Amino acid sequence: MADLRISFAGIKSPNPFWLASAPPTNSGYQVQRAFEAGWGGAVWKTLGEPIINTTSRFAALSFNGQRVAGFNNIELITDRPLEVNLKEIYETKKRFPNHAIIASLMVEPKQEKWHEIVKRVEDVGVDGLELNFGCPHGMAERGMGAASGQVPELVEKQTYWVKEVAKTPVIVKLTPNITDITITAEAAVQGGADAISMINTINSLMGVDLDTWNTIPHVAGKGAHGGYCGPAVKPIALNMVGECARNPLIDVPISGIGGISNWQDAVEFILMGATGVQVCTAAMHHGFSIVEDMLDGLNNYLDSKGIASIMDIVGKAVPKYSDWGDLDLNYKVVARINNDVCINCNKCHISCEDTSHQCIDMLKNENGEPYLKVREEDCVGCNLCAIVCPVEGAINMVELKQPLPKMTWNERQSNIARFKIDKVAK
Amino acid sequence: MDEYETLKWGEVMSDHLQYLEEKRKIDSYFEKGYQIVSIFENLSGTFVDFVTSNDSGEREIVQLQLLTAESRKYIASKLIIN
Repeated sequence: MADLRISFAGIKSPNPFWLASAPPTNSGYQVQRAFEAGWGGAVWKTLGEPIINTTSRFAALSFNGQRVAGFNNIELITDRPLEVNLKEIYETKKRFPNHAIIASLMVEPKQEKWHEIVKRVEDVGVDGLELNFGCPHGMAERGMGAASGQVPELVEKQTYWVKEVAKTPVIVKLTPNITDITITAEAAVQGGADAISMINTINSLMGVDLDTWNTIPHVAGKGAHGGYCGPAVKPIALNMVGECARNPLIDVPISGIGGISNWQDAVEFILMGATGVQVCTAAMHHGFSIVEDMLDGLNNYLDSKGIASIMDIVGKAVPKYSDWGDLDLNYKVVARINNDVCINCNKCHISCEDTSHQCIDMLKNENGEPYLKVREEDCVGCNLCAIVCPVEGAINMVELKQPLPKMTWNERQSNIARFKIDKVAK
Repeated sequence: MDEYETLKWGEVMSDHLQYLEEKRKIDSYFEKGYQIVSIFENLSGTFVDFVTSNDSGEREIVQLQLLTAESRKYIASKLIIN
């Protein structure tokens, strides 16, 4: 039985699975039920001046039969008075002293506002604070959330204000609605953040109704952009976590958020530098009990690899994440079709012929039966055929050992630089 | 494009065959004792100037235009090997 406990910027949690600040953590009733189900921590739905929400609020993208491949919301922060939330946080912490309760906070970018809410929230015994600089809709129009999180100076300054009074670890939650998230992550570190979390939701419009021409969702015939999350955003979030994890100037722990739906997703984020993960959409889709499979799966994974503690794998894949210019140009893989498994649907041939490098031939054997074969010398190893193939194991990407030495683009440019001269085209 | 206009579909040399031809030329120049004196790259590909000296000491320069990506990798790899 592996040790699933984590210490995240000093915050202790019985396991790395936290509920993200969102509808699942709106009340003490919900958070306590989540802890009973097995969640290790919860980031309380963002506290601030109580707001007024609209109906409707959510929309989801179903793709080829998968429900909730992506999820969009225009819900704002808590609509309940601070005192009500604080009372429930206090009661929840009292009942679950070993679970992590983090208060997500959002106020106007004013020093006195931050000081006031930090003091009041810490008085009820939270384990940490998460500054919501990421919520992209509604609150951003009022200068908070993503509007703050897109300006590095505001991220740094507000983090600094919080650190002036905070006694618990301060996590800065970052918006992905920015060109380079490492810039705002560095600003958070400069401001004194003890940790960062990412990603908040991505600006989105889920759709337009073809009959009514209303947006999806709409509020009495009008719509506004929302925040996109769920499985579809996982690759975006994973990259942002990786980019921050490998940046030496961002030397604080990372809480990974974005489309994490199972233990495998969680392991990927942890390997890529997250010390723990936060989950929302999967819990909204399937309920709190999904954490049972996450715990079992993670435990079995670690046991199968002989790893004693989840903390032992944090960031292990980060050294493998690099820049394009550092990839080996002389590494070569090609597609190889297993004709014992192939069903001759020809999808690989079509995709290669139409949109890649025309290297899969449709042939016939001595009995006149069709089969597909890759001309390996023309294959560029793009993976497209294996991606579109509907049969597991029918196409394998195999490495061809090359006689040439490892050479990256950066090494190539360095090598030819001594011979390089400036000339215009002849 | 002019050189291809007289060809029918399917007759255009494959990238791989073109690479083999360019590789053959690169190897051939090295085998004959040529050395690279300059490389420049532009929208038309990579241009490699090889030089050798004949018996009377006169320098002979030949230029090779590399069109394929594989050749552009190969020429730089040869610099590492050599």
